[in-house]
Amino acid sequence: MSRSIKKGPFVEEKLMIRVRRAQRASSRNVIRTWSRASMIMPEMVGLTIGVHDGRRHIPVLIGENMVGHRLGEFAPTRTFRGHVGRSDRTTSIR
Amino acid sequence: MALVAGVNIPDNKRVEVSIQTVYGVGPSVAKRVVEEAALPGNPRVRELSEEELNRLRGALDRSGAIIEGDLRRDVQMNVRRLIDIGSYRGLRHRRGLPARGQRTKTNARTKRGRRRAIANKKKVGH
Repeated sequence: MSRSIKKGPFVEEKLMIRVRRAQRASSRNVIRTWSRASMIMPEMVGLTIGVHDGRRHIPVLIGENMVGHRLGEFAPTRTFRGHVGRSDRTTSIR
Repeated sequence: MALVAGVNIPDNKRVEVSIQTVYGVGPSVAKRVVEEAALPGNPRVRELSEEELNRLRGALDRSGAIIEGDLRRDVQMNVRRLIDIGSYRGLRHRRGLPARGQRTKTNARTKRGRRRAIANKKKVGH
């Protein structure tokens, strides 16, 4: 089931404050966040956001057609290095 | 065999079923189109006159349904967008794996294709 329209999109408040500040200052610094569930808003386009993958903050440059997706979609949490004994296509990290 | 919506050729089924071979026409659109075409007595495609066929084609055109090449291109573009923006779902499409969190330990055969044998795979014992 999709989220009720009444509530509006979820974005962590602190993140949104930092995004607005960065846009006003047109600063290009990476905004680090742990809030993978936050929706990407139009205001974020052009910024680089460091999305936590459980270990590091993956820098994600936000483009226009990313709006509406969640930040976490762009920072994979798993690294699959192939199965045991499979020589072809192993160690191909996403 | 009659030509409806470009290359598609239905046969000797009832019209409502037959036009569902067109990519993008399912039960719902089919029903609407057949009603609009006003064919008397739920006929099979081979029983249609040329004039009735044209009415059917017209009804399908006017239905506003996106079908065949256009629909395939739309789907293709949606997938390409997911891949281009580097999203998780795009990644799964690239890998040919299910994109909506389904399990892949077993099942997911539709997306992954036929089973491939894995050397020395041990049976799960009881």
